[in-house]
Amino acid sequence: MAGRPLIAFAAAICTLLGFAAFQNARSDVEGWREIAWPFSRDGWPTGRAFKCAAALCGDEIELYLRPKAGFCNCDTGVADDEEVDRVTDIDLITERFAPHEPGNAVRVAGMAGRLRTYDLAMPDGARRAAVGIAVSRRCDLFVAVAQGHGNGSHVRHVALDFLGSTGMEKWMIASMDGAPH
Amino acid sequence: MGRVKLAILAAFSVACANGAAAQQQVIGAPPEASNMKLVGTNDLQARSAYQPTIHHQGDRWIAYIGHHGGTDDIPTPVNPMTGKAEPNGTSIVDVTDPAQPKYLRHIPGQEGKYEAGGAQMVRICDGKALPKGDRNAVYMLRTFGSEAHEIWNVADPANPVLITRLAGLKDTHKNWWECETGIAFLVSGAPDWRTRRMSQVYDLSDPAHPVKIRDFGLPGQEPGSTGAVPTELHGPISTGPEGNRVYFGYGTNKGGFLQIVDRDKLINGPKEPTPENLRLPEISRMPMSAFNGAHTTFPMKGMPIAEFAKDKDGKNRDIVMIVDEAILNECAEPRQMVWFADVTVENRPMMISSYTVPEASGSFCERGGRFGSHSSNESMAPVYYKKMAFIAFFNAGVRALDIRDPYHPTEVGHFIPSITAATDKRCVTIDGKDRCKVAIQTNNVETDERGYIYIVDRANTGLHILELAGPARTVAGLP
Repeated sequence: MAGRPLIAFAAAICTLLGFAAFQNARSDVEGWREIAWPFSRDGWPTGRAFKCAAALCGDEIELYLRPKAGFCNCDTGVADDEEVDRVTDIDLITERFAPHEPGNAVRVAGMAGRLRTYDLAMPDGARRAAVGIAVSRRCDLFVAVAQGHGNGSHVRHVALDFLGSTGMEKWMIASMDGAPH
Repeated sequence: MGRVKLAILAAFSVACANGAAAQQQVIGAPPEASNMKLVGTNDLQARSAYQPTIHHQGDRWIAYIGHHGGTDDIPTPVNPMTGKAEPNGTSIVDVTDPAQPKYLRHIPGQEGKYEAGGAQMVRICDGKALPKGDRNAVYMLRTFGSEAHEIWNVADPANPVLITRLAGLKDTHKNWWECETGIAFLVSGAPDWRTRRMSQVYDLSDPAHPVKIRDFGLPGQEPGSTGAVPTELHGPISTGPEGNRVYFGYGTNKGGFLQIVDRDKLINGPKEPTPENLRLPEISRMPMSAFNGAHTTFPMKGMPIAEFAKDKDGKNRDIVMIVDEAILNECAEPRQMVWFADVTVENRPMMISSYTVPEASGSFCERGGRFGSHSSNESMAPVYYKKMAFIAFFNAGVRALDIRDPYHPTEVGHFIPSITAATDKRCVTIDGKDRCKVAIQTNNVETDERGYIYIVDRANTGLHILELAGPARTVAGLP
């Protein structure tokens, strides 16, 4: 039993070291700033949320991203567009969304998956455009959703540009390894 | 640097690198048991096992055991009876003498590793019980990986014959088959539906000539719908035409709910998968926390509750036991456990109690593999029904619960098998590298009418046949 306090101490140090690594992996893309996770707690740990002002991104765009451990078919990965509908967090923005067009294969942070653009019907009657992205590594998913006022292809371009930055790629990989977020 | 500092540094390094090794299982150590004892074992050819179904077949007792796909290390284990490498499928074992189980046959399943292959699920009906079955046949309904359901004649369990195949699916899972009517609630992934798993209702009263009745799921899952897609089905349990209810469990380890469905409306109602037609048979839904799923929804209607015996009303309660499935290794998710819902007032079901294995009782988060519940026995044979439930709890083995008062379920026994050289490792990723441990992963459990308890291991350790001992036998009324 004497080992338990030492183990707890070691675990705490490990956690702090992990958190320090996470801090160093913050976004390095101009124009984006981190905002509070805007959604209620659900089955997965909360993720990270970012906003880019219209002056810098051509449209005010928000992006939400997080890992979902154990939520993927270990062998087939993200197999089809319906899976993108199911697993991305687009339903957290609104449950009323419709795909704009068939999705595409995508690769983010070295992980393969699919993305799809959507038209959103917001509760206040406004219309928005969004892109849902789901990529996987083994049995785990990483999902991202971006929304904006403009057209879906622009939102997709801006979101992929941000996700492809060095800092975000590092963080995505670290978060799939269980780093805190 | 002083000795004390060096010692602390060394301990710190070990803790960071390996985590605590407390109570980790080692080969050769005895099983851990309380009020349950081992009767017999079979290694099931070291195949990862999921659903056992025990059938009284003539004067024999036969265990049919579904398997997951192979592993990265051994994708297609060799069947010693044929000398050939065979994708994991279905094991058929004669357990007439539970102390000496005799392996009869392995039927290969779909190629593929882990959940991508194998033949996880199995149900059995006698031909003489089915309205249009061959009276001399015994039918085995099994999944074939993700792509099909199959029915075999296993009247001679050592020489099964394929009868029917329902193919072209994108997934399958835990079916329910009513032997007295032949109605089957197949968990399938119809290609045009927006979910991996929904229900296809079939009339399998004549297994050689399946008749599809309808597709069923939740509004939002049907073809052509848009917007949020509800949680996928895990499995149903029907109470047959007499009970006229089907209890569907949705979700596995997240956002689950129990759906209570009018069986007659489901089978005979309008079949076109419109949102209105999908809502019609539903009596109620009971959502669970986003942290938990509904893997198994096991109904126990009309349970007398001793505490309520003198109450003028409500002394008998309809109970559904809901079992979640843990899916992540080493406690990387909220605890998956067992819940009891009082569904006496069907449109207002309410969770009344819960059960979990105390983690500290075995340092289970540190042992390796999954810790948490997965499944329960589904036999409704009188020996245990409404008295005891057996829960597969991964690295905590099987747990025997006294459920006579479902408002206060109590553990009365447990059994954690020993690991063997066949037991497969379970890994977590730390700093981008795998760190692996070996532990029992009790994956599922079933009972037979004699009172034997059959547990199977996901990590390839095989089948263990158990019996109750001591005070646990008293709970079941066993001598």
